[in-house]
Amino acid sequence: MGKRPPVVFLSSSSDEDEGGGRRAATGGPSARRARTPATAPAPAHAASGSRKKPRRANSAERGRRRATGPAPSGSLKAEFDMLSEDFSECLNDLGMPGSICQTKELWVDKYKPRSSAELSVHKKKVEDVKKWLDEKLKAPKGTFGGWTLVLTGQAGVGKSATIKAIAAELGVEICEWTAPVPTLWTEHLHANSGLRYISKMEEFENFVEKIRKYSLLSPTNIGSQRKLTIILIDDIPVTSGKVSFARLGKCLTGLIQSTQVPTVISLTQYHKSENNDTAMWNSEDLESLLQSAGAHKIAFNPVTVNSIKKILVRICKQEGSDLTEELVHQIATSSGGDIRHAIMSLQYYCLNPRRLNSALARTAILPGLKSGGTLVPGQDSYGCSSVMPTACGRDETLKLFHALGKFLHNKRETYGEVDVAVDVDLFPMKEKLRRNPLKMDIPEKVLSQAHGKVRTVADFLHENVLDFIDNDAIDDAWSVASYLSEADCLLAGSPISSARWMVNESYEAENMTQLIAASVAARGVLFGNAHVSSSRWHTIRSPRVWQIEQSFRSRKGLILGERYDCSSTSGSRNFSDVVTEFKPFERWVNPHNDMPTSNSFNHNIEASSSEEDDEIEDW
Amino acid sequence: MLWVDKYRPKTLDKVTVHDQVAQNLKKLVAEQDCPHLLFYGPSGSGKKTLVMALIKQMFGAGAEKVKMENKTWKIDTGSRNIEIELAMLSSAHHVEMNPSDAGFQDRYVVQEVIKEMAKNRPIDAKGKRAFKVLVLNEVDKLSREAQHSLRRTMEKYSASCRLILCCNSSSKVTEAVRSRCLNVRVNAPSEDQIVQVLEFIGKKENLQLPFGFACRIAAQSNRNLRRAILFFETCKVQQYPFTSNQVAPPLDWEQYVSEIAADIMKEQSPKRLFAVRQKFYELLVNCIPPESILKKLLAELLKKLDSDLKHEICHWAAHYEHKMRLGSKAIFHLEAFVAKFMSIYKEFLVSTFG
Repeated sequence: MGKRPPVVFLSSSSDEDEGGGRRAATGGPSARRARTPATAPAPAHAASGSRKKPRRANSAERGRRRATGPAPSGSLKAEFDMLSEDFSECLNDLGMPGSICQTKELWVDKYKPRSSAELSVHKKKVEDVKKWLDEKLKAPKGTFGGWTLVLTGQAGVGKSATIKAIAAELGVEICEWTAPVPTLWTEHLHANSGLRYISKMEEFENFVEKIRKYSLLSPTNIGSQRKLTIILIDDIPVTSGKVSFARLGKCLTGLIQSTQVPTVISLTQYHKSENNDTAMWNSEDLESLLQSAGAHKIAFNPVTVNSIKKILVRICKQEGSDLTEELVHQIATSSGGDIRHAIMSLQYYCLNPRRLNSALARTAILPGLKSGGTLVPGQDSYGCSSVMPTACGRDETLKLFHALGKFLHNKRETYGEVDVAVDVDLFPMKEKLRRNPLKMDIPEKVLSQAHGKVRTVADFLHENVLDFIDNDAIDDAWSVASYLSEADCLLAGSPISSARWMVNESYEAENMTQLIAASVAARGVLFGNAHVSSSRWHTIRSPRVWQIEQSFRSRKGLILGERYDCSSTSGSRNFSDVVTEFKPFERWVNPHNDMPTSNSFNHNIEASSSEEDDEIEDW
Repeated sequence: MLWVDKYRPKTLDKVTVHDQVAQNLKKLVAEQDCPHLLFYGPSGSGKKTLVMALIKQMFGAGAEKVKMENKTWKIDTGSRNIEIELAMLSSAHHVEMNPSDAGFQDRYVVQEVIKEMAKNRPIDAKGKRAFKVLVLNEVDKLSREAQHSLRRTMEKYSASCRLILCCNSSSKVTEAVRSRCLNVRVNAPSEDQIVQVLEFIGKKENLQLPFGFACRIAAQSNRNLRRAILFFETCKVQQYPFTSNQVAPPLDWEQYVSEIAADIMKEQSPKRLFAVRQKFYELLVNCIPPESILKKLLAELLKKLDSDLKHEICHWAAHYEHKMRLGSKAIFHLEAFVAKFMSIYKEFLVSTFG
């Protein structure tokens, strides 16, 4: 449990380390350039004869040299040197472009907001936080509850920075929980070195316990030397599963109710699509839990493009690098409201200005932040997602439902007659196999953006695709169904397995088939559905198969359990015989204790189908 | 007790339907040695009956004292421990189990149970018959991995145990396993034989069978003796004395499948396909094996179909049955078959009737 100053120096310029690291990274020829900023460059006469210029050359010189520099008689070696130098240049320049700055520091740290005025967060929010902290710091001790503030917002909107900046202004000390390096469970298993395994969860609980027990942070003497403190919990342990989540919840609730020091918990909200992995803890659950425990919540919105731009321009000015307006704009928009990311990209771009132009040439206009992907056909979000990735953008993520909608709605270009004729010449195909080009990225890309599990995607497609097929086009229905059937076979993996669900023991190898299966399913749906029914509102249902399989398993268990009761003397019966012959027979013979005859099928289903609609929302 | 169990022949001598097979088996065991055996034949033909009788022949009455236990197998696969619970019937001389109930973990069960049997090998004072018999049902439903492990363990422990395998279709058992066993084919009983059995039971139960009644049940049972006896008992429960035109009620799931077939013939559209899917779900949730559904569905469809189409439809049914075995979700394949049928049938209707 350490106190640490609000500003963190990631690289404290220990040159030996750096030099060593660089040498390792760049390898032989360029190792000679292990220079420190203070000492003059002492280039040894190394193997590559062509490059003896001091490395202090500024970028303009560098550019000229590159243009005119003689590559000695096409020797491969020189070329290699050049490449590797290029590379190491990149590495070395990280943190010191131009000649102004001498410290090697990430810009993110260097330009950390020192005061609340410098924050790029919305003024109102900053004001809110400040007011709250002010109030709490002045409030009398001894009351319980109401001492906690929860900050939410996506990554990189400046949650922690706000607290730190304000704390610095108010002259308060921040006490953080610094998570120790976690021992991985597997590591622990292998090492077997008598170390006691402590999960992060336990560490966190200990920390909270200590705060509560010793109340060291609220000293009793009300002297003038009293140092005001804030607890900042920035690093909430990751929990998976209900049990550990409940533990975390209990721990935090206890903290909130008993703490007497202003406590700030910062929660990063994840994109919905990123945590559709059920193992991830759900930030929303946690949020509501904290709020119900009596914490005050302030939600941070993504930083606006304009304020990101302002910051970037300011940094540019201080660094003396002249980036074009256009590029700054682009970095700002592509960052998706993540100021940290924007500054990182800026620093990267300032490394070597030559690279900018090429990158810029490739870029298209990036979309702003996406609004939540609803499945209303014809919404503009369809159009704008087909965008080239750029070197600096964050990868786009799609919601699973959005991706499914793309596949199901199957939007295609509608050409006039002329264009089709041109296409035909290139690669002649039968009329019935021909499809217009897709109005979206290639399906594989959409799939990878959606982060869906293949099985899930296939099940969803299977459940919903029939709604989207024109009611006359039964042929299409068949081709879709046949592709889905193929995809299922691929997913099942090994031939002849009685597995009702998947077992992935050789995960790597299966991965490829998984990808292929996903592609078959998605493309099959796209290709097969040649006559899309007129677009109208469709809800996407969650797959019935899941319920069916669940109830199938439980029922099978029941029947297996019963099987031996009735047949202890004469050997066991086969399961399939029991189901297809004995069970119906029993229903005839004594209809009172079992379900009545022909309705028996209907009952089970209807009981379970009523909740279905809700489930879609939650999913 | 159901008549099926009550009138099951307990010894090889009393077997009526497959008396030839029974006599051969008797001779086989009389020579004190018994190879591994593989019984195969359609369901309801009497495989299990033969097996039980055979075991009794080998070990005497001791084999009839069976106890049922739900044993939990703890298996260490190296990376993790898994626990499999599986019910088994065992006597001092034999163990009977359905390893395919364990689903995809069946291969562990097969190996483990045989190993354990080999470990505590019964020792006879006279040094005779120092082996146990392991009866494995539904071998054709075992996964390929399980069948492979079966093959290895079969050889390794052949001194201490004999395997008796039962399955419907020997084509789903790997060649390697088949060649290590003495294959015994058990035919489906003919309708005459079924009639004889029914009359025999009728006599024992002191029932008056109207003329042709047994024949009707035999015809309805589709040469499945178990089903015939069950039908017979159903009729008895429903109405006795029997009337001359009484028929057994059809099995409810079969009736349901024929409803599906009628639906399919009526309309061919994605919407109907969707409706059919829901009905399939209802069958599946009641644990009706998808293979049986497909088979019955095909039979129902063929009844109403123009003979020109029959060949093609059968082809596709076979195709999707295979896919079903390869895949893991039966509904995908059932539905694909129905879609294909609809597509073919619609085309046929359009071309015939315009």
